[in-house]
Amino acid sequence: MAERPEDLNLPNAVITRIIKDAIPDGVNVSKEARLAISKAASVFVLYATSCSNNFALKSKRKTITAKDVLDALEDMEFDQFVDPLKECLEAYKKNQQGKKDQKKKDKEVANQSAGGGDQGEDEGVAIMEEESEEEEGGRAGDVNGDGDVVEISDTSEDA
Amino acid sequence: MADDKGKCDLPLSRVRTIMKSSPDVSSINQEALFLAAKATEMFIQSMAQVSLEQSTDRNQLRYNDLADIVDSIDTLQFLQDIIPKKIKASEYFEIMKKWEAENGNDSDS
Repeated sequence: MAERPEDLNLPNAVITRIIKDAIPDGVNVSKEARLAISKAASVFVLYATSCSNNFALKSKRKTITAKDVLDALEDMEFDQFVDPLKECLEAYKKNQQGKKDQKKKDKEVANQSAGGGDQGEDEGVAIMEEESEEEEGGRAGDVNGDGDVVEISDTSEDA
Repeated sequence: MADDKGKCDLPLSRVRTIMKSSPDVSSINQEALFLAAKATEMFIQSMAQVSLEQSTDRNQLRYNDLADIVDSIDTLQFLQDIIPKKIKASEYFEIMKKWEAENGNDSDS
């Protein structure tokens, strides 16, 4: 699969934690089982990505959106994930918006004390705002697939 | 740990690396990345829970428990090569013996 040095495996410690949290306390998980689940998880990502990408391409888009992922999961017959994921997406969007609001506030405070203007700030905020648009009626998960090409590395999200 | 639905334990950067390794993928919206990671987290939980439920020993989660559900659940077919069923060497030799017997020992090139 990967000839590159980049690791296509997910971190062992996190996988173990997720497994342990999902099963009753005291259940022993063999190393082989953990490894198998880890591999399966990576393959799941690839499978979901491939499926999501197909949906994006079908709509003539080059960027995979949240809706593509949800459609893909239904297609893969993991529809039991879809509703819970929509809730998670809403929570995620709130978190992101909260962070941006906080960052904006922090900047304003800093600017006031520095006595400077706030040019250039608006650009950053405006681009990010597009993402958190919510549809009316609270129908979660729908993102207008206008190809928001937002590269992950430069956003304010922390791990 | 992350009981906050809006957070994911899996590192998004790593998930992104995996997604980008898929051919023909141009770019990934940040929300899509989060959903893919979160879905994977749910998938891991699901695998662990279901295989334990189907297992004969509820105190242990072993490789064979996983192989069993991959074999029996349709939606997990994509994992058949990743988590194949294991058989003992003796079982393998039995199978080979039978196969050879059925197909005769005609050694054609």
